[in-house]
Amino acid sequence: MAPNGNIVSIRNLSKIYAQGEIQVTALDNISLDIVAGEFLTLMGPSGSGKSTLLHILAGIDRPTSGECHVQGVDVTKLNESQLADWRNQNVGFVFQTFNLLPVLTAFENVELPLLLTRLSRGQRRKQVETALELVGLADRMRHLPKQLSGGQEQRVAIARALVTDPKLIVADEPTGNLDSHSAQEVLSVLQSLSKQAGKTVIMVTHDPKAAAFGSRTIHLEKGELLK
Amino acid sequence: MTIPTFILKNALRNKRRATLSVLSVAVSLFLLVLLLVALREITLPVEGAGAELRVAVRNKISIANLLPAKQLPIIEKIPGVEAVTPFTWFGGKYKGEQGMTFAQFALDPKKLRAVFTEAKMAPESYAAFEAERDACIIGKITADKYKLKLGDKITLESTVYPVTMEFKIVGIYAGTPDDRNMLFRQDYLDESSGLKGQVGMWWLKVKSAQDMPKVISAINNAFANTSAEVRAESERAFQLSFISMWGNIKLLVMLICSAVIFTLLLVSASTMSMAIRERFRELAILKAIGFRRRELFAFILAESFGLAAAGAVIGVGGAYLLFTYGNVAKMTNGMFPSFEVTSRIVGTGALVAAVLGIVASIMPSIAVAKMSVTDGLKTLD
Repeated sequence: MAPNGNIVSIRNLSKIYAQGEIQVTALDNISLDIVAGEFLTLMGPSGSGKSTLLHILAGIDRPTSGECHVQGVDVTKLNESQLADWRNQNVGFVFQTFNLLPVLTAFENVELPLLLTRLSRGQRRKQVETALELVGLADRMRHLPKQLSGGQEQRVAIARALVTDPKLIVADEPTGNLDSHSAQEVLSVLQSLSKQAGKTVIMVTHDPKAAAFGSRTIHLEKGELLK
Repeated sequence: MTIPTFILKNALRNKRRATLSVLSVAVSLFLLVLLLVALREITLPVEGAGAELRVAVRNKISIANLLPAKQLPIIEKIPGVEAVTPFTWFGGKYKGEQGMTFAQFALDPKKLRAVFTEAKMAPESYAAFEAERDACIIGKITADKYKLKLGDKITLESTVYPVTMEFKIVGIYAGTPDDRNMLFRQDYLDESSGLKGQVGMWWLKVKSAQDMPKVISAINNAFANTSAEVRAESERAFQLSFISMWGNIKLLVMLICSAVIFTLLLVSASTMSMAIRERFRELAILKAIGFRRRELFAFILAESFGLAAAGAVIGVGGAYLLFTYGNVAKMTNGMFPSFEVTSRIVGTGALVAAVLGIVASIMPSIAVAKMSVTDGLKTLD
């Protein structure tokens, strides 16, 4: 982490996609700092570059230019293998469409990131149970995703994001496929992770009501940060 | 959960597809083993105590052409010859059956033990065979099939000679490569058919392996430029000449095997590619979580290999059990007295399965390697 308490520091970040002869600028010279423990929401119209920014600071996409330091590590300089390891230890992902593996139970889905660690079976079990308790689903461990409601599935996804105890949780439209009640549940969990567990949560959303759960909201439009 | 459990769950996520994939591999490998064993049985050198010292002498024009019996003393005098017997195909039909399920040959009973040393039966049977005019001996496979025993009488209608003959079973032999044949006396055939002085071919035993080339050459030369020129050859060469009448059987079987393997490869590769394509988003999630390319390759390879291995266990294993413990002679109506699935053939089947598992995983692995996490996440179900 930077000495000023920033967990994320982005400087002059750009992302340009080449689609044949046409070049599409998804991000245009973005500079941004995110403080540790913040619940930051990224808002903007469709195509504004919110998800692209999220993907870059989560290490699943690379910028065309610029720097992106997360917890003191310039993720743009890591090779693919290093990036994979870094993601496993430092970032938890929550996606819009839950993306649980349908053949695995809730317990097994949450356990997935831990398979890459050297933890013993017993240690893994303990961490998984803790993560599921945190999201209020300890009694649904043996259920398959198809046996869970949408809100429960998303909470399992959050538990999976938490299980390696990352400092950073990134959520891309986590409530996009949920009804208002389930969305409320999920957002409350994310908020408590930030306020009580000290996690830094970065969430992309279209929904102003969801954005209200955050401690800060920034707006993007056509790849630029709006002041 | 462990990594192997994770792989297994993925492999079985679509149980119907997994079952069909395994069965397609199993059936194909069963067929492959069947073809390889059949080819081996057909081309296997005759083994037995006397096989390597036996020489077949037939009419040079065609095996269907007879030879004069007066050739016998000439052959017997050739240095290196230990014993000679006529061997005449009778072509008899038993009990009005449409086809012939066992062959019948006329020979000199006194020369049976000397020439066909591997045939084993009770000493009194040999004596009876030499003493009784209408005596015959039957191979154990045929005796068991028709529930024949000593003393039984059988009647055969020849398709070669204009005669129907009755025989008395005085012995049941075993221990030859083909325990199906019936053997009876050449003099009985001569009397009954009225065609004395003609034999089908000669079988002889040489004194040693060193004598064989000289004996073969001497026999061929002895009857060169006569009205009954002969072709003398070792038993192995005689056997192979029969097989070559069917065409290039080895090439044919190899082509069929290749077609089976190639088709299996296409089906397996297609199935694997489809299975992985459906899981692109899941694989993207795994990448996002931190799984590296090589780990995803390993998952795909393990799944593909596992399905192929399961198919191999069922197909190759099933073939081994069936052909080793089943009554193959009965199943093939006596065509194959034995049907040995050798360890080499089992190994070939296993190797094909292993290669299949690896090759089927190549295309999906390439697709996964090229896929970025963001592209994978956008994949629709």
